[in-house]
Amino acid sequence: MTLALHHYLILAAVLFCIGLLGAFSRRNAVVVLFSVEIMLNAANLNFIAFWRFGTNPELLHGPLFTLFTIAVAAAEVAVGLALVIAVYRHFRSVDLESLDTLKEE
Amino acid sequence: MNEVTAFWILAAISVIGALVAVRKRNLVHGVFALLVFFAGLAGLFLLLLAEFIAVVQILVYAGAVGILILFAIMLTDRVTGKDAFRVTSRGSFWGAIIALAVFLVILLPTIREIPLIENATPKDMIVEQSSVKELGTKLIEPYIVTIEVLALLLTAALIGAVTAAQGGRASEKGENTE
Amino acid sequence: MNWELIGDILLATVPLLVIFPSMFALTTWVERKALARIQNRIGPNKVGVPLTPYGGNLSLFGLGQPAADGIKMLFKENIVPTGADRLFHLLAPILSLIPAMLVLCFLPLEFPWLNGEQNSVKAFMLDGAVIFFFAITGLNTLAVFMAGWASRNKYSLLGGMRAIAQMVSYEIPLVLSAVVVVMIVGSLNAAEIAEAQAGWNWYVFQPWGLAAFVIFFIAALAETNRSPFDLPEAESEIIAGYFTEYSGFKFALFFLGEYIAMFAISGLAVTLFLGAGGGPGVEALPWLKVIWFLAKVCILIGVMIWLRGTLPRLRVDQLMGFAWKFLLPLSILNIFIAGFAWHAKKANEGTAVSVIVWVAALIILYAAAKGLDHVNRAKVKPRTYQYGE
Repeated sequence: MTLALHHYLILAAVLFCIGLLGAFSRRNAVVVLFSVEIMLNAANLNFIAFWRFGTNPELLHGPLFTLFTIAVAAAEVAVGLALVIAVYRHFRSVDLESLDTLKEE
Repeated sequence: MNEVTAFWILAAISVIGALVAVRKRNLVHGVFALLVFFAGLAGLFLLLLAEFIAVVQILVYAGAVGILILFAIMLTDRVTGKDAFRVTSRGSFWGAIIALAVFLVILLPTIREIPLIENATPKDMIVEQSSVKELGTKLIEPYIVTIEVLALLLTAALIGAVTAAQGGRASEKGENTE
Repeated sequence: MNWELIGDILLATVPLLVIFPSMFALTTWVERKALARIQNRIGPNKVGVPLTPYGGNLSLFGLGQPAADGIKMLFKENIVPTGADRLFHLLAPILSLIPAMLVLCFLPLEFPWLNGEQNSVKAFMLDGAVIFFFAITGLNTLAVFMAGWASRNKYSLLGGMRAIAQMVSYEIPLVLSAVVVVMIVGSLNAAEIAEAQAGWNWYVFQPWGLAAFVIFFIAALAETNRSPFDLPEAESEIIAGYFTEYSGFKFALFFLGEYIAMFAISGLAVTLFLGAGGGPGVEALPWLKVIWFLAKVCILIGVMIWLRGTLPRLRVDQLMGFAWKFLLPLSILNIFIAGFAWHAKKANEGTAVSVIVWVAALIILYAAAKGLDHVNRAKVKPRTYQYGE
């Protein structure tokens, strides 16, 4: 058995769906945030796998795009966690289901 | 130990890490499981010969993001007492169904294309050539605008994060004095 | 099985695992002796080689102390507090030692038996060695947090949080001061950086290099929790910080990890600024490179011990302010100065120009440091004493 592209693709799909599961089923804002990180990382794995098995790896598109994704994800985490802290200060809770003040009673 | 064994071990590490991270009720354990997931993914990047991405993965995710999340947890939950870390999950049944459905939707085209892609072998990389240097040149030459925009984004995120996290402090102080 | 490859790997790694832990043992003795002399004491002087079981020791200035300490640590009881997270409590000391040990292999230690043409172990000379170094030392912070959190003790957690805040803050000036050298050499490869400084062309002799070296060394002190930045383990405030609840061999592992991290970061400082293995006589005798490298590391460790005996501990707000308001702007300015100096040198070759650039850069850096200090001090209100006169 040798490693082919689809091994990586299926692994990335599994990881993405684990992240999705976390984002859907957890109520804690921090957990939802790191579920999103898992999804982003699964996408990164796809980029690198396609780059490695692609036709011209010398152009380095995969690593470059992954680099940009990582930078954007880092910014996202920073802002997201700052928002979590701000929300916690206001509501004394990071439970996403308690943040429903915009909902009509 | 060949490449295939390494792949399966790393895949198992990252899948288990991710699963524990999203399912574990103890948040701090969850964060460390997430770090295991990041490390496993960095190993997979190394396996795909993207050493610079692997090291950036460790530097940014395991180093910076993990610590940031730990800080946020320490600031938002009650620090001592195990029970304070327990978070309830709800809707995991529908969540699991939707995740499974999405998984199948993603999987279908991949499986259909397997005959096409299974013969795609990775090109032999010239290992002596410095891929880090190459990456740096690429970042300056065609992607300079992207890098600048990224720098702007990170600066904006920095300022935004500081204002968002600090915004509540004034009102909190007001509350205390009242 | 490729036995030759395995042999080469052993030749490359075993020396690291022998040299640095034995240097650790010696350093603990040197540190105790030196601190004792600074404080006008004598320090350990009894333990030596026991010649007979009934006394009559060969005391050798107390050189047997490290061995005695090690034996004592091994036989101590291993206590895990009730309610502690047992798994994390066990993992934390291991996790603090592994990154410290791992980064040693990125140092450009040119062992004479590794210079053969057919030698296959070139893998350690990674392209991104410097960035690998920073990425892996960053993991140390997690071990510290793990220890603080798993002990289930308020003082441990306080120490852990202090350590995280301190390490994250000081990592930025640390990396930014290393960036200067990386920028000038144009490579992240430790071996290439070492090569670029061959023949007394050390970067510490450049104005930007000097500034970067000083910033790097200060940040390295903070990064390894050395005095005067040892707030995470400030015994007068929080007992022993994150390893309050550790005893026996787990504590020994923490201790070892801390010292190995000191060696590693001193090794990086030597690589980046002090010409790696360069020194008198290396052209004729290449094996002297390892000796010089380790000697320079020892000198830096000596300075660390000296500082520990001399300077009092900082306050938490002073510590953070120093990183963010002083070291960070100065290291960013330093990057610009290094760029200008490099371009000025490239544009015209004359000695006069380089001297002018040298002096101008040094004056600018000195003025900037003074100015920042002045601005920072202006915000500090004069201290008022509540109970004192």
